[in-house]
Amino acid sequence: MNFDLDQEHRDLAAAAGEFLAAAGGPAVARAALDGGAPVRPGRAELVKSGYPAITVPESAGGGGGSVLHLAVVAEQAGRVLAGPSLVTYARAAVLLADHPDRLAGLADGSLAVAVADDDGPVLDAAGADTFLALRDGDLVCGPGTVTVRDPIDATRGLGDVALGETVVLARDAEQLWRRGERVGRTVLASEGLGAAARILEIGVEYAKERRTFGRPIGSYQAIKHMLVDVYVAVEQLRSLVWWAAWAADHAPGELPLAAAAAKAAAATTLDQAAEAVIQVHGGIGFTWEHDAHLYWRRAKVDRFLLGDDVAAFDEVARLAMEASS
Amino acid sequence: MDFDDTPDEAAWRASVRAYLERCGPPGDPRAWQAALYDAGFVGVTWPESAGGRGGTPMQQAIVDQEMSRLGLPALINLIGIGMCGPTVIMHGSEEQKQRYLKRLLRADDLWCQLFSEPAAGSDLAALRTRAVRGDDGDWRVSGQKVWTTLAHLADYGILLTRTDPDVPKHRGLTMFVVDLKAPGVTVRPLRQMNGEAHFNEVFFDDVPIPDAERLGEVGDGWTVALTTLMNERLSLGGGGTAIGPKSETVARHVAARIGALGADRQALARQELGRGYVAALGARYTGYRQLSKLSRGELPGPEASAGKLSGTRSARDLADLAVRVLGGDARVATTPDGDGVWQNAQAVMPGMAIAGGSDQVLRNIIGERVLGLPAEPRADKGLTFRESLR
Ligand SMILES: Cc1cc2nc3c(=O)[nH]c(=O)nc-3n(C[C@H](O)[C@H](O)[C@H](O)COP(=O)(O)OP(=O)(O)OC[C@H]3O[C@@H](n4cnc5c(N)ncnc54)[C@H](O)[C@@H]3O)c2cc1C
Repeated sequence: MNFDLDQEHRDLAAAAGEFLAAAGGPAVARAALDGGAPVRPGRAELVKSGYPAITVPESAGGGGGSVLHLAVVAEQAGRVLAGPSLVTYARAAVLLADHPDRLAGLADGSLAVAVADDDGPVLDAAGADTFLALRDGDLVCGPGTVTVRDPIDATRGLGDVALGETVVLARDAEQLWRRGERVGRTVLASEGLGAAARILEIGVEYAKERRTFGRPIGSYQAIKHMLVDVYVAVEQLRSLVWWAAWAADHAPGELPLAAAAAKAAAATTLDQAAEAVIQVHGGIGFTWEHDAHLYWRRAKVDRFLLGDDVAAFDEVARLAMEASS
Repeated sequence: MDFDDTPDEAAWRASVRAYLERCGPPGDPRAWQAALYDAGFVGVTWPESAGGRGGTPMQQAIVDQEMSRLGLPALINLIGIGMCGPTVIMHGSEEQKQRYLKRLLRADDLWCQLFSEPAAGSDLAALRTRAVRGDDGDWRVSGQKVWTTLAHLADYGILLTRTDPDVPKHRGLTMFVVDLKAPGVTVRPLRQMNGEAHFNEVFFDDVPIPDAERLGEVGDGWTVALTTLMNERLSLGGGGTAIGPKSETVARHVAARIGALGADRQALARQELGRGYVAALGARYTGYRQLSKLSRGELPGPEASAGKLSGTRSARDLADLAVRVLGGDARVATTPDGDGVWQNAQAVMPGMAIAGGSDQVLRNIIGERVLGLPAEPRADKGLTFRESLR
């Protein structure tokens, strides 16, 4: 057993981190929120980088890589609140696996896809022209009309989708749909990991500098212990994300539990991290000018994507009880 | 990244499993440990010169996993193996290693760790037990230790003493191996909140200790103690082995009981099981990451404390949930069939959040050594130990 990233993963993360940080970042997220500026890197630039098609087979113009490869990139995307989400591409790659033409369209950017769940505004609906959905157990595909409402987090491209004329891509596709959801949960958790790790860094830096009563606030246990609890949660989340990504690639039997656990941990960890770091900053943390609320917005929205944390914990419990009997 | 056993690991696992299934459940705990040692499955990572096998951390983890899979209890000399032994290996003389280590691994001798005192727990370096050197170069020790796990059964202990009160507290300490059968040693069991007596007070009344039993240099006891504490945190929280009740066992128990609860309780029980289970999985896989680092020859760092912190938390929550789903029987110590295993698990867990560094102290360590946050102000900084007492 070797439960650690290989050099190849680290190199990939470093390169992706550089690209994403140059393309996006909190300033971009703020502009999107403030004035409706486009989210970055945006579909075109992202597709050009090749990262979203990592899990698409080489025969369809993709990278032929693993979910773990995509997950380490997604962590970097989460750090800088990049959009659109790699979750969308990861799910689409699973759902379109038997449709080489559409898969190629996903990889070369000629298809702008979103995956439409039935529970409210759809991730990355803004700017999408093709929607994948589950209808009466069948996987369907078609155009749709998108209505964008006031976003809490503008980087998620959320929109209500009214599907137009669809075609059936696969009958009895529940299994396939679930797999797409689980791979999506894994990648979503990885973005949450990146966001939580980054906001923790911001909090730690501030706690070292800001002084009250003649001492840096980080020397007060109320602050120190709050940040340590976030650190511990982030490292546990990292372990769960890696496990889920590995399961997606190598152990389909473990994926349901691993993906639900990663999703649940990501939802609670990012929320805990963002809330804590706003507190650590005092009044500054509550201002529009500070970046903390941009991460907080991610947390408040992401916890409801691909099922909420309540549903994920419930699923973990049901699977655990099932496996034990 | 690969979770599967390498061919070598798979072969090792098969041999461990075959042996454990053949040898059957433990009878006398000492004899059982000796048999396991003779079969090659105790002290796996210890060097051969110390009576071990010179094996890998993964091999040891596989032994632990297989024992846990079969529901076998922990070895009796766990403090010896996990904490005292590694300290002797690192700081002991050749003679001490020859004399003690193999017998420790076979549970011929049981060991305990004599660090904490009534006025020195979290602030361990504030300890008062005095060791005074005589003209012959040997030592006399007087003082009191407390919370000493296994002292009532132990033959030897590693003993941290103060040898110089006129230097700052961390610099005046010296470590020894002490024979608990020596004249002047008195052990008094203390009863814990779960009703059992695993830890003790130990009194030293002018106990002679030969200088040959010193571990490390005079005045260098803090460095020696850090070896012990590092190994302690690793053995309590690292390597992916669980503290307290196993999450799978709790899940089975909840599954058997949940049908008898009302619908609202069922939803709540599943939420709590889900939360506890995710935390346990997180702790387990974080332990695996640690193990992978150890396997590459990296030393366990302060982040090992995180495993103890989170593992203890999830085990406490799971034990509590397991008691809750007993329904009305959660109010009494045993169910009608006489089984009080969950109530006892619940009553054991608070100690785990204190032993080996309390939750708060571990948070300080992680905050300062991993996150680099500024240190706690220390009122006794720069003072000699004697001055700090005033
Ligand atoms: C089951 C069990 C087994 C044990 N076995 C052994 C053993 O075999 N050998 C041995 O030597 N010892 C053993 N111990 C002792 C253990 O190491 C100490 O109990 C522990 O380090 C805490 O010390 P204390 O009990 O003196 O509590 P204190 O140090 O008095 O702490 C009391 C409270 O204050 C908090 N506190 C203290 N300092 C700080 C700080 N700087 N910041 C914030 N909070 C702080 C603590 O977290 C705790 O909540 C055992 C303890 C238990 C419970």
